[in-house]
Amino acid sequence: MTQTIPLTLDINGTPHALAVEPRVTLLDALREQLHLTGTKKGCDQGQCGACTVLVDGRRVLSCLTLAVQAEGCEIATIEGIAGENGELHPVQAAFLEHDAFQCGYCTPGQILSAVACIREGHAGSDTEIREYMSGNLCRCGAYNTIVDAVRQAAEAAR
Amino acid sequence: MTLIEPRKHGDASDGSLGRHVARLDGRRKITGAATYALEQPVENLVHAVLVQSTIASGRVVSVDKAAAESSPGVLMVLTPDNVFNMMVASDWNGNRVDKVPYLPLPAEVNYNGQAVAAVIAETFEQAREAARLIKVQYEETPATTTIAEAGTGKVTGPMTVEWGDAEAAFEAADITIEAEYRTPREYHVPIEPHGLIASWQDDQLTIWEPSQWTHGMARTYAEWFEIPFEHVRIISPFIGGGFGSKGGAYFYGAVAALAARELGRPVKLAVTRSQGFTAYGGRASTRQTLKLGASADGVLQAVIHRGANETSTYAEFHESTGAATPIMYAVNNFSSQQSLIKVNTVTPGALRAPGKNPSAYGIECAIDELSYAVGIDPLEIRLRNYADHDYQSGKPWSTRKLREALMTGAERFGWSKRSAAPRSMRDGRTLIGWGIGCGTFPNLTNSSEAMIRILSDGSVEVESAGIDMGQGTYTIVAQTAADALGVGVEQVDVKLGDSLSAGAPVAGGSMLAGSITGAVHKAAQAAREELIGLALNEQNSPFATSGANTLVIENGRIKTSREDGPSMSIGELMAMLGRESLEVKRNTLPEGTTPEEKQKAWTHMAKVRGPTAGDFSIHSWGAHFIEVRVDEDFGTVRVSRIVSAFDCGRLYNPKLAESQLRGGIIMGIGQALLEEGLVDPRNGRVVNNNLGDYLVPTNADVPLIEILSVGEPDFEASVLGGKGVGEVGIVGVAPAIANAVFHATGKRVRDLPITLEKLL
Repeated sequence: MTQTIPLTLDINGTPHALAVEPRVTLLDALREQLHLTGTKKGCDQGQCGACTVLVDGRRVLSCLTLAVQAEGCEIATIEGIAGENGELHPVQAAFLEHDAFQCGYCTPGQILSAVACIREGHAGSDTEIREYMSGNLCRCGAYNTIVDAVRQAAEAAR
Repeated sequence: MTLIEPRKHGDASDGSLGRHVARLDGRRKITGAATYALEQPVENLVHAVLVQSTIASGRVVSVDKAAAESSPGVLMVLTPDNVFNMMVASDWNGNRVDKVPYLPLPAEVNYNGQAVAAVIAETFEQAREAARLIKVQYEETPATTTIAEAGTGKVTGPMTVEWGDAEAAFEAADITIEAEYRTPREYHVPIEPHGLIASWQDDQLTIWEPSQWTHGMARTYAEWFEIPFEHVRIISPFIGGGFGSKGGAYFYGAVAALAARELGRPVKLAVTRSQGFTAYGGRASTRQTLKLGASADGVLQAVIHRGANETSTYAEFHESTGAATPIMYAVNNFSSQQSLIKVNTVTPGALRAPGKNPSAYGIECAIDELSYAVGIDPLEIRLRNYADHDYQSGKPWSTRKLREALMTGAERFGWSKRSAAPRSMRDGRTLIGWGIGCGTFPNLTNSSEAMIRILSDGSVEVESAGIDMGQGTYTIVAQTAADALGVGVEQVDVKLGDSLSAGAPVAGGSMLAGSITGAVHKAAQAAREELIGLALNEQNSPFATSGANTLVIENGRIKTSREDGPSMSIGELMAMLGRESLEVKRNTLPEGTTPEEKQKAWTHMAKVRGPTAGDFSIHSWGAHFIEVRVDEDFGTVRVSRIVSAFDCGRLYNPKLAESQLRGGIIMGIGQALLEEGLVDPRNGRVVNNNLGDYLVPTNADVPLIEILSVGEPDFEASVLGGKGVGEVGIVGVAPAIANAVFHATGKRVRDLPITLEKLL
């Protein structure tokens, strides 16, 4: 099966034309074809959250999404959430300030998950943040400071 | 909450070191700009996928690869039939058996999940599909798949530790306890899976691979392929977590490099999450029996320890369950032995605080059991048996603020409000328990080298082959260089993780920070002296006629000590000197080290100094105070509060140290309550080889963790006074939780993890 399908993906507001086999995941399309490697592959089976991106504003595991499924949707990745002049997104700034990461590998997924978590209205208390950020594993164990960062960004967004 | 305050010492070290400086590499990590190994943009890349064995023991008889080879895009299929001219590399200590061929895909199968083939194709999807089409015929032989069925193993004589007469003292003791403690197989599961990109240009091999030890891994590849060390370049600027698992080159690296050489194209090999459970070893399963004898008032008279761990059928790995036992308490009669039990598994490896971690689990649970047998408080029994020196080596401690850790932690936690009896604290149907566990990790030291480059604009570059996998090396190296040079941290750029750069030891055994900062400090001081010398001696320099015989550098400006004297920025000085750059390289090796010894210092471990190599016994220490809440009906355990106090000497950056200590503690929560590699006894397969079934702590599993630092600079431990931080955090957490669960429920669970069925 080497037949490819032409496809246009709207990523961070920019259309990207590519040709992929139908079995190519959104994650592999981003990383291997478009070299947008900020989205991470942690398990490739929907268990760790490192590949979290926003599709039409919802958090989605890009390893469990076929690239062809995402055509016609607005895809947001870590490369696109800072301001045009490089100004950090409030969630990014809060992650830096609170040291909400160590190795950094789960971080893009955590940040996109946090952006959605706040937008969903699931950042009302520390307990709620912990629960709604539990789809994103961090083996370095930055959970306390992730909660600090999400709380701060959520308060700023109110 | 930040409870660690910066320390001031009243000397030149009062610069940025010791401050809560944000991660230098942070911005790259939060914007997606940090590129990890498999993300390097390499032209003409092809993809390799591994095929793993489905039996635990036997031989590959044949591999049917016809379907795979005719599958679209497939370029090559490697099987045990392919013999390449590779040689076995030396071990960590530099021992090498000469002229023994290395077979990365051997026909002999020693464990389920051993790689038996690899498929290389134009795309990842094509390689994965073709790998599925490989058919392997085996000749199966009987296997020992779990430690439970493997007997008692064989005692490793050199690991025996004894003093006094432990058996006699135990027999004579007023109060004794005896218990067996077990830990299961545990896995590192860094969120970045293992893998690499290998690329050849003529006889030069470039490897992009996450590495805790670029020099050691480059040496291994060089020995495998019998090419000079300098012909291999390991590039590893970012590592997505390692925890001990990324310190060596493994067979799959050899497979990728071989394929790249044969195909003449760069090869990317990504070890899948599930393959990672057998592509390299996790922490060995352990068991240990502890017999403690004490006087009626709880003073230890004897400690007898008998431990064992599983290892593979083809190599020996010691998970030393007696590593912490001899140094935790004052005792005049001691005996410890360690056995190895062979099972059909991948050889276990070093996972965060190897040895000390399961060892502390045993002794810290046993001392808790003894406290109840004697009828005194678990805090009190630890203080009553406080070791004023190292009873094993007989040497004095360099620094040991464990008493302060216990007292400060207890105060912050509110330990005095604890009601002693098990099951005596509750909140409705929730049982509450409080427990203590202490931890330790030895101070290992090795030399380092650092390159400092002053650029024409006055900015500073520091280079080392050492790495940052999240511990904060980039940041503390910049802080160290900034302080020694007299410039701001923001003026310093740090380049790490390149084996061709200045030498550094492994980022393991908590030894890198103390080692690398020593070399950076030395090189930066030398660079500062050179700048000052040039400023004074340059003909046109305003300093030449200032009458000053030395100068100072502060905030990036070079000046006389007199306020009204001349001054200029380092950039202005460089312009005056007409210099593009100024390079200074220094190392901390002993004087007279030969080039061969220098090479070995960083490519092997033989020069690593242990905690008692000098006049003192040097270790990091910690005490954890943990509250659990246990549902009385369902047996579910939640950790609800943690206060941990540490003596890690001087903290170079408390913000980052605190993060690392928390990380260790959280891994300890996983160890205590969640993590357990489950093996199918029929075929030796790790059945929960994924992150949905091998459970690690999630955000919702973790309460607020308060970290306290009671350490003071220990200059026996390192040049700048720090002791190790990375490993000690996890040590003592599992026993603290187990002890808290006993206090809550009255049930003593002695095999980890403490899952609900063990409490019902």
